[in-house]
Amino acid sequence: MSQKTAEKVIPLEAIPDVGSEMVAVEGREYLVVNDAMFTFFKRAMGELTPFFLALRDEKRILGCRCTKCGLVRVPPFVTRCPDCGFAPTELVEVGDVGHMLATPPVTYFANSLFQQQVPFGRGRVVLAGADTAMSVNCYTTRGILVPGIIEKGTEVKVVFRSRRRGEITDIFCVPTAELQPDQVAKKGLEETEIDWERGQEPPLPAVTPEDEALFRELVARLKAIVRELNACERARRDIANWWRTILVKTRGGSLVMKIADGELSVEEGTVPSPDLVMVIPELEVLLNGLAYRGSLTQAIMTRRLWISKNPEFTTVFKLERMARSLARSKKA
Amino acid sequence: MRKVGIVGAAVTPFRAKWFEKTYYELAQMATAGALQDAGMDVDDVGGVVYGIYNDIFQRACIPEHPLQCIIGLENKFGLRVSNGGATGAYAMSAAHAYVAAGRFDTMLVLGVEKATDCFDFQSMSATPEVIKTIGWSGDSFFEQKLGWTASDSYAEVVLAYMDEHPGDLKPEVTAEISAQLSIQARDNEYAQRRFDQVTREEVLNSRIVVYPFKELEICVYSEGAAAVILAEEETARAISRNTGQPVIWITGVGEANEPSFAGKNHKTMHRILSHHLAAKRAYEMAGIRDPLEEIDVVELHDAFVHQLEISMAEMGFVPLGQADSLVEEGIMMPGGKLLVNPCGGLIYSGHAVGASNIMSAWSARRELIRRGLRRALVHGTGSTVAQYGVVLILEQE
Repeated sequence: MSQKTAEKVIPLEAIPDVGSEMVAVEGREYLVVNDAMFTFFKRAMGELTPFFLALRDEKRILGCRCTKCGLVRVPPFVTRCPDCGFAPTELVEVGDVGHMLATPPVTYFANSLFQQQVPFGRGRVVLAGADTAMSVNCYTTRGILVPGIIEKGTEVKVVFRSRRRGEITDIFCVPTAELQPDQVAKKGLEETEIDWERGQEPPLPAVTPEDEALFRELVARLKAIVRELNACERARRDIANWWRTILVKTRGGSLVMKIADGELSVEEGTVPSPDLVMVIPELEVLLNGLAYRGSLTQAIMTRRLWISKNPEFTTVFKLERMARSLARSKKA
Repeated sequence: MRKVGIVGAAVTPFRAKWFEKTYYELAQMATAGALQDAGMDVDDVGGVVYGIYNDIFQRACIPEHPLQCIIGLENKFGLRVSNGGATGAYAMSAAHAYVAAGRFDTMLVLGVEKATDCFDFQSMSATPEVIKTIGWSGDSFFEQKLGWTASDSYAEVVLAYMDEHPGDLKPEVTAEISAQLSIQARDNEYAQRRFDQVTREEVLNSRIVVYPFKELEICVYSEGAAAVILAEEETARAISRNTGQPVIWITGVGEANEPSFAGKNHKTMHRILSHHLAAKRAYEMAGIRDPLEEIDVVELHDAFVHQLEISMAEMGFVPLGQADSLVEEGIMMPGGKLLVNPCGGLIYSGHAVGASNIMSAWSARRELIRRGLRRALVHGTGSTVAQYGVVLILEQE
């Protein structure tokens, strides 16, 4: 049996309590029950075992080569080549540098198991010696992944996790342009051998009297928007059961934005240990986001808005959703 | 092969959430509606093909088994089809084959999905859990653990297309299409976002969910059901005489499933060959040579606006690399040659997965009849990297 401290196959924080509630629709109430479907596995990796063991134990990547046509498939997902009358394939090692088959998508709004990991890329790399492309996560070593860093043809290096379990997530790719030549050349490069740019809070310029005056004006406008959002039932639902204290730092001053189960509030000032810090030199960016005139996500991508914790993209989405809900409600 | 036509159809409202109904009742509503539309008794139906995509959404394996008696077809033929997003279109393709082959004179095609009972207790919202549930559809050895989603797998194809055709799929054009679809949804009383008309600027400003897709360029998950009744020629004509509604014949059907692995001898990432091949096969069967001239209505499975554009090109309405001409030359704009997604598409009508393509067929039939048009194309797409494609051609005599 695993020890109490061992990592679980289902994250404990994802598991809801037993419970139920009543939901009213057009004057009638309906029962809604907390529930789950779950199945545990001892999953046999069968013919894929050598591939996953090579990742875990040897930091090598295997493909399979058709003994007839020579096509090298990576990962080695067949033992016989369906193009050659099911001729047998043989395992071969391929390189750990390759190029992206196409520009990879970047996920900002992830499925519930991956919300701690956004933003991340997932694309297909054609490794040296391979004919097919393998799905991999793509990252940049330099802050938040945005479009343009990794594109079709970008040369990438496979990097190995330090803790490997014999899974596809034992590896990921970063652009070779972000690495030193010796790192690119090294076989079995591990994540700890890379200089990751840490999320440093960007500095703000010294405050001028003009900045302060503009700040006061913008805060007043922000408060008006917040009042409107709070008056919108649909927008309130977007932040139901959600609590966050956000310290917002701008060039003219700081403010504290609180989300408290359906209620949004904004006050000038600061707070000792916020759940999230936002640095927005131009407060107008936040105003526009909440007023549905621009996207906060895009502001993060274009470095006009900095957030201290990437998993808090969830909170950013909720704020954006409120803005859209208010806009929708105005149309209805 | 016998001639097969649609003699009845119905949809339930597509909603973000049905607290008031389970999938049992949604299935029953659509069935009863389709039977009423066809003026038929359930005893006159030979069998049923169910379109239900995801077991987990219904919270049951073989979720169709309780439906057999709920829809009054106990002791009759019942086949469940599950083909990702293309489930509904494949269900109609299967029923067509059974009726055309003479196994049954009439068949019900019933699609239903209860997609948003899933709930993520961490973000306290449904969508991330819905996406996770669909995420179990990615390759279980090599992709699920990388955060595979339907969006990022379609985005792979779209970005690869944009690599090949950098001037196409301009943000202004995808935004214009989304805005146009939102206007068209107003005519669909069953649409989830019937009164959510958006401007091009709103679409352009909406947040990126998975690059390059913006929130207002992605279909919305729905709960709902849709049903059509197919009949062989003689039966169909008798039903038509009874109801006074014309038979809408299914004159072409085509399907293709591409490889899900990419690279040499596998998926060509910048193409959606499944849609190209499915359309080619359906056109051959229906005798269509020039789809732009010979088709009046397209009900296209618009999982994403960008994919709508590529699919239109793959199906031969515009050249590959010039899909923006759909808007720039007005082809799908008001007064243009084609009526594309008069129901608002899945982006505004909603995507109740197993029911969606059947809803599209319901809409295409409705438009042919009420506008007195000749031909419609119904399209379904599904699985990772737009792997599955199905096209049906509907015709009014």
